[in-house]
Amino acid sequence: MKTMDDRRAQFDAECRSAGLTLGARDYDLLYDMWLDWLPERDRLRATMPEPEDEPWR
Amino acid sequence: MAVNVADLDLRGVSEGLGRRELSSVEATEAYLRRIATHDGVLRAYITVTGDTALAQAKEADTEIGRGRRRGPLHGVPIALKDLIAVAGVKMTSGSQVLADHVPARDAFITRRLKDAGGVLLGKLAMHEWAFGRPVTDGPFPTGRNPWDVRRAPAGSSSGSAVAAAAGLCAGALGSDTGGSIRGPAAMTGLVGHKPTYGLVSRSGVLALSWSLDHVGPMTRGVWDSAVMLQAIAGADPDDTSTRHATTQDYVQHLEDGARGLRLGLLKRYYVDFPGLNDEVRGAALTAFDALRKEGATIEDVDAPSLDLALAAWAPIMSEAYEYHAETIRKTPEKFREGLRTRIYLSALFTAQDVQRAQRLRARIGREVDALLSRVDALIFPGQAAPALKFEDFPTTGFAPASIRYTAPWNLLGLPAAVVPCGFSREGLPVSIQIVGRRFDDATVLRIARAYERVTDWHRRRPDPARWTL
Repeated sequence: MKTMDDRRAQFDAECRSAGLTLGARDYDLLYDMWLDWLPERDRLRATMPEPEDEPWR
Repeated sequence: MAVNVADLDLRGVSEGLGRRELSSVEATEAYLRRIATHDGVLRAYITVTGDTALAQAKEADTEIGRGRRRGPLHGVPIALKDLIAVAGVKMTSGSQVLADHVPARDAFITRRLKDAGGVLLGKLAMHEWAFGRPVTDGPFPTGRNPWDVRRAPAGSSSGSAVAAAAGLCAGALGSDTGGSIRGPAAMTGLVGHKPTYGLVSRSGVLALSWSLDHVGPMTRGVWDSAVMLQAIAGADPDDTSTRHATTQDYVQHLEDGARGLRLGLLKRYYVDFPGLNDEVRGAALTAFDALRKEGATIEDVDAPSLDLALAAWAPIMSEAYEYHAETIRKTPEKFREGLRTRIYLSALFTAQDVQRAQRLRARIGREVDALLSRVDALIFPGQAAPALKFEDFPTTGFAPASIRYTAPWNLLGLPAAVVPCGFSREGLPVSIQIVGRRFDDATVLRIARAYERVTDWHRRRPDPARWTL
């Protein structure tokens, strides 16, 4: 179970990795949005594609 | 001129012109007067091209007078979302970044509409870059819902919806990346048709997310949308996504009715969704009964992988980050914060997220294609809830949960249309949605018309007396 501090650290790392430099207001808004969308992203990452799940086929 | 042009649908205007009961100049002047009277409140237009429109209308009247009517759009005043290029006319995308941008060339679809004799009244308001939020302030307000001006028409083709619903044009074009035609059409009592991906060219149309973007009509009636689609559909060498475009006659079978059609109701994913408003659910179920009475058979169907649709849609929206990354890095102040944050979020998906999304997109497509091999079309409520007040619109969040009603069909590129099916107790329009097979837009429109012709929802008009602040 991740704590909010863990989440914040994960978010900061992802912003750094993406090369985002944010002002305080954008940082807060983006963090809330990121947190809000995290369940959908986790669902994506938890779903293993089948071999036939191939785009452009 | 005995008719009130603003009360007509596009078909009414077109047939009035055909019977010579109405001239194109009369129709154009009527719309321009109505824009001048009401657009201060409704804010549907960013740019009104009155002089050009009147010149086009005069030319149309001359040709029609000589017995050379080009087709049903000839002389009909229409308007375009402000991300569709018209040569020499400002195109802003609702953004300060393009506040003074004037394209030199028409979009392919603009040329098609001009060739069909359409009269272009102007460029319509929209959510910033087709991904911002509804606003009433600043240089690019996004428009007010004519059914209740305290409410947003949703977006992003907000001005297109407002103009068509309020009688400020006979029909409009919008664009749809996650629901931006169908959402606003549903909120304002219009027919909104997102065509099959690759049926309508996007060259000369500003992108939001190119593999999800579609351009299509927003009109008061189904015939109107069919006629507009007919004008803009087809292959364009400048848009390779249209190279396999298969056009149909979108009007010919409109009156064939629903008898014999097999419809699949996506009950679990849509009707049973806890976020679905009760009044929308009730109106939609009544509408499906009407289709059954018209001879359609309806069976409950399901595609379990639809549960992954939003999870797959969002990473693909990182196309929007790529599109805006340099501009937003250099001039973040030119983006409103609601949009800026959404674009930044798109940067936080990894390459693997995007490729996983593409693979799941293929899976969902396979499942839905299998359903569409058993039924002619899928049906479900057109929206989660009626129009929201501006202050109730979410100011945070990447996308509202209600986007489930529209975005999966951008992901799959299938044709999808909303058609009005009633009103809430507060007098707000609600709708059903129909999704068809790839490049079978004609069947989607036929089903929409089969329902429309046994109801009168599409004949109701918002009351201009209530367009005050």
